[in-house]
Amino acid sequence: MTAVPRSDESGLAPRTWLIWSLAAMTVALSTANPVYRGLVALAALDVLLTWLRPERRLKPLAMALLFAAGFAALVNVLASHAGVHVLAHLPADWPVVGGNFTAETLAYGGAVGLGLVAALLAVAPLSLVLEPHDVVDAVPGPLDRTGIALATSLNLISGFGRTFNAVRDAQRMRGWRPRGIRSWNEVLVPVVLTSIEDSVLLAEAMEARGFGGGRRTSYAAPGWSRWDFAVVAVSLAAAALFVSLRLAGAGIDWYPYPALSVPPLNPIPVAACLALALPALARSRGAGVGL
Amino acid sequence: MTPLARIDGVEYSYPGAASPSLRSVDLDIEPGLTLVAGGSGGGKSTLLRLLNGLVPQFHGGRISGTATVAGLDPMRTPIPRLAGRVGLVFQDVETQSVYGTVEREVAFGLENAAMGRAEMHDRVDEALASLSISHLRSRRLATLSGGERQRVQLAAVLALRPQIVALDEPTSQLDPEGAEAVLAACRRLARDGRAIVVAEHRLESMLPAADVLLFVDGGRVAPTTREALAPTAVRHRPGAFRGSEAAWQMRAVAAGPAAPGGSAILENVNLAGAAGEVVVVVGPNGSGKTTLLRTLAGLLPALSGKVERPVGRTAFLPQNPGALLYLPTVRAEVELTLRRTGANGASAAEAAEMLAAFGLTAMAERYPRDLSSGERQRAALAATLAGGPALVLLDEPTRGMDRAARRALVAAVRSLTGKGSAVVVATHDTDLAAELADTTVALSGGTASIVETPA
Repeated sequence: MTAVPRSDESGLAPRTWLIWSLAAMTVALSTANPVYRGLVALAALDVLLTWLRPERRLKPLAMALLFAAGFAALVNVLASHAGVHVLAHLPADWPVVGGNFTAETLAYGGAVGLGLVAALLAVAPLSLVLEPHDVVDAVPGPLDRTGIALATSLNLISGFGRTFNAVRDAQRMRGWRPRGIRSWNEVLVPVVLTSIEDSVLLAEAMEARGFGGGRRTSYAAPGWSRWDFAVVAVSLAAAALFVSLRLAGAGIDWYPYPALSVPPLNPIPVAACLALALPALARSRGAGVGL
Repeated sequence: MTPLARIDGVEYSYPGAASPSLRSVDLDIEPGLTLVAGGSGGGKSTLLRLLNGLVPQFHGGRISGTATVAGLDPMRTPIPRLAGRVGLVFQDVETQSVYGTVEREVAFGLENAAMGRAEMHDRVDEALASLSISHLRSRRLATLSGGERQRVQLAAVLALRPQIVALDEPTSQLDPEGAEAVLAACRRLARDGRAIVVAEHRLESMLPAADVLLFVDGGRVAPTTREALAPTAVRHRPGAFRGSEAAWQMRAVAAGPAAPGGSAILENVNLAGAAGEVVVVVGPNGSGKTTLLRTLAGLLPALSGKVERPVGRTAFLPQNPGALLYLPTVRAEVELTLRRTGANGASAAEAAEMLAAFGLTAMAERYPRDLSSGERQRAALAATLAGGPALVLLDEPTRGMDRAARRALVAAVRSLTGKGSAVVVATHDTDLAAELADTTVALSGGTASIVETPA
């Protein structure tokens, strides 16, 4: 008999990744300061690029980040007209968008977008670094069904992409061409129908293998290294710091109205944000190599 | 010998179905290899799902009669409990995978059975060894061939040590080598005293090893004989219309990196086909057959070299063609292609002709996604080939097809070539290749070579 494997084929234990992701997301969403958010995004990007599995693609994530940031900034600029530095103007009687476009609304929209980017980068390792079974191992035992639902959802996302490409190609060869939003129905409707069918087939296959019968056990033995303890400790400390500063009203936010101002900075929150890059350091120091 | 499963007078209808999918089924299943043959939509998959309780417990519907499977009542025993005694391997290896790596995928059922970690490990070892795939243990599923993935799914079922193992068209997506490996595993398991029940269209390899032969048609299950199921001899008939000039060409074509930074799948491919000629492309899973078709279709730009297509429409049937169907009726799908390809006016008559050619007239007004997988495949073929395409590209067109559908496909291809269409077929189906090919091209190691040029 060979040794029972640890569940940390990525080098850090799956639960470490989950805790790090939740902590980084908490930091990013507990402050409106774009500098802190940007630092979290950079730390998360560093971690992601360091640990990214070679077979995983970054392009869909990059598209999602661009869309999230762009959409948030655009909505804020179009819908809010506060601020004193006017960049452009639309007639005031135009519904919603009428009025001034200001540097303040642009800056605040950018900060909101940066928060979304940081949060998305924080959770990205759950699909781009971990395997689906790692996600199941990461959640506490009583929540293992939630973990499996999450893992299979992550699987279905990649399946959705494959189906989309296949159906788009097939419809194109039948003479379909993209002409306006409605024309995409011919691609999106069959893709959604096929994805639903695939989900039902997967549910059927899972049930046929005994899923849903009661208590489960895990194949992988939990095993934590000193890097796991270090990453968890640093992540929890960073999240706790930002939550307590926020509860204490200690100036981690930034508000550009009525006039644009430089975001306030404090070295301790800056250090906490940078410390979230610790998993990248763990990789460079050898965690996970040869596992 | 005491049967491992006994089914008495079972009649079953899916929810909302107008007619039963199983009718008065009386059946004993004993240890050994039971081969279940029959046409698409005849009830083979439903019969397998009855054995492990998915029918009726997962799907719902109306059921009558009695059944005992491995000592349990599959109509009332919770499916997770049945899973330890009856294993079911599904047709599509991709949609039944839960995890991403071989070892964990095999262990998934054991985790669900709340087994101790050490015993799980022993069982995973045992299941992988029994199928001679221990060397795949640490591999990611996405890196495996179709045959390897199907054996991993079989190992995942065997790890639970079931008395009965049912396999639903296990070789339909596999190249001959992969199919033989799965079938050898089935034969070995049957010799070990399990009941192995295999529903298949590709019968030639299974027939000699089968202990019991069943034929399912219209929901009725009846014993049959080897003679009745033996494949008819394949006879090649060269195309009646074959032009002398190339209708399509690939000159020094490289195509298709699998991933950014990856090397090309095809290198320096030189091929050509004439109007009325059928070129069949063969090769193992992953050899680049789909890449070649997609490049020829213009869906994938060539990395280098030149691709020339004939003037007129190029029709492309992808793998899993049922995915493209979404309209309310089969007829509407065919008519859509005709409208798109400029066949206005003649569309009703042409649609009727295409539906008849693929045996779809009776189901022309049905929702395509309610059809069986084989029927859906035919519907997709009819929708794809309508409108008189100049170049026809078919990617594994017989996947999941029964004999009647194959005959319809062969007839349709001959009809198209008779009208001057050039046809390229990528397939694992050696009989189809022998029957249709004017030229056979083998892909291996990224290069193409002509292996046969009959008549």
